[in-house]
Amino acid sequence: MHKLNQIFQALTKLLLVLVGATFLLSLIVRLLPGSPADFYTNAFNEEDRLLQIKALGLDRNAFSSYAHWIFDLVRGDFGPFFMSGGSTRPTSLIIAQSIPRSLLIMLYVQIVSLTIAIPLGLLTAYRADKAVDRIISTGLFAGSAIPGFALALSLGYFFGVRLQLLPTIGYVPIAEGLGEHFKHLILPVASLSIPLCASYARILRAEIISTLRQDYVTMAVSKGISNSRVLIKHVLRPSSTSLITTASLNMGALIGGTVIIDQIFALGGLGQQITFAIFARQYIALQSYIALIAIAFILFTVLADLLIGVVDPRTRNRNV
Amino acid sequence: MFKKLNLFSKVSFVWIGLMFFFAIAGKLLPIADPTEYFDVTGAGLFTAGHILGTDSNGYDLLANVVVGARNSLSIAVISVGLGSLIGGILGIAAGYVRGKTDYVLSVVFNIFLSIPNLILSLVLIAVLASSSDPTVPVPDSRRLVVIIASLTIVIFPILGRITRGSTLAWTNSEFVIAAKSMGMKDSQIIKRHIIPNVLPSIYAVAFLGVGIVIVVEGALSLLGIGVGDGISWGSMLARAQGDLEFAPASLLVPLTFLALTVIACNQVGDALRQRLDSRESKL
Repeated sequence: MHKLNQIFQALTKLLLVLVGATFLLSLIVRLLPGSPADFYTNAFNEEDRLLQIKALGLDRNAFSSYAHWIFDLVRGDFGPFFMSGGSTRPTSLIIAQSIPRSLLIMLYVQIVSLTIAIPLGLLTAYRADKAVDRIISTGLFAGSAIPGFALALSLGYFFGVRLQLLPTIGYVPIAEGLGEHFKHLILPVASLSIPLCASYARILRAEIISTLRQDYVTMAVSKGISNSRVLIKHVLRPSSTSLITTASLNMGALIGGTVIIDQIFALGGLGQQITFAIFARQYIALQSYIALIAIAFILFTVLADLLIGVVDPRTRNRNV
Repeated sequence: MFKKLNLFSKVSFVWIGLMFFFAIAGKLLPIADPTEYFDVTGAGLFTAGHILGTDSNGYDLLANVVVGARNSLSIAVISVGLGSLIGGILGIAAGYVRGKTDYVLSVVFNIFLSIPNLILSLVLIAVLASSSDPTVPVPDSRRLVVIIASLTIVIFPILGRITRGSTLAWTNSEFVIAAKSMGMKDSQIIKRHIIPNVLPSIYAVAFLGVGIVIVVEGALSLLGIGVGDGISWGSMLARAQGDLEFAPASLLVPLTFLALTVIACNQVGDALRQRLDSRESKL
């Protein structure tokens, strides 16, 4: 009962944050000089203009517009995307186009980062404070701090402009050829993965080092189980909880937080749509994009909690 | 204190020091005029007279990077300073008063944190720094103020949350409880006991904040709404993006300075935090 109550409280707070964030954004965007009404109406006389404004839903005040949006959202409707002349098309069409790209990129980035980070974390923790660890850890620190766009621009220069090996712009769907698809995504995925992989490895290293001090590890080693088996069977699993939490928090961030990488490589993911929406005064669509990121964030947080329960059963009955 | 640091932290300290030296004394250094056109365009590194090369317009890159240090660092330091002030006050209020104040302030911090920082500053700048008449450009000074203001808004919840956590911990410490039970006024407790203990963790996070702000400022420039043309590291990048083939140094030089500064800020912030942790574990 206690636990349920806590989950309920945490969820109310998250919902409050979700509503607050989207409402705040909708207010700020309303302040933009040049209302969408100037952008998306093309009638010559005032009467028609007013009709078009009404058709776009732009005659509503901030509160009524927000209320309309949130009721639509609850029903799974992402609201109107304004078109010129008082017509609209559903924002869900744009979301349907950009979300698969963002999700795929996120998936690739997570796979690449984790496959490299786990062995690096194990190695540096096992050799903690030895020369190998010092060198790799310094590199990992630098890697985790380097801005993604710095990587994107320099990788783009070396592999795209200098060596002419890889394309630096655009996205090719899987349906149009798997080879081209991956070729176009190597640079963006690399620029997103390097900082992420480095921070994952650092988190894992810290946690493995503290697990290695546990009595049951000493016990396992003294029983004569080989080091590699102890590391993988006894140490890695209980050490992965922080990594799981961080990785799942990053899922939400990667879906829409990659605005700049999206823009540099012109990938047409959600990040790029967000930039378009801001400059084109698409504030209903913008609210929906942000809400989508926030919802993903909440979902992945819950998912991480469940996953941690599976990986580390000790946490299941813990009253946090 | 300096001697105890590892090599990487030392190098980071020296690098940040050098950047601040550039920022403060840049005009006195014997380097080229950043706004002067030279005949050599697109020169690479170590060209005679232009150690870091020139860009496609013939601007000297070293001179521009030094000017960029001044602008990028002032933007970062001012906005992180303001953000620490606001975040610090709100964080101490939340952590010390607790109850409803804490709940409301925590929700406010989380609202700002839940919007990705680049998107938040993008929206704010688009609102505050675009004129309603497209034919009249926004003056550079107003743009600068707006950018600093929006970066402050991006950074204050991060500092606020850290301050809140630290204040909570110190408010529960025995000497604060003792001071309270002796009838010491809240304002005195905050001044004497809370602030001096919370400040070190604010410093540590502030260094990380400078890194974050430099990155966001660079990203904003790349999206085309940063500070004026070529006067910060970010806007040098934005300007160089177009002529990569002809003058690669014009991209790689500011990029290196920006990345190294961000890495150094992170390292210094991290070193400060570790020192803090070990101090607290000794208590």
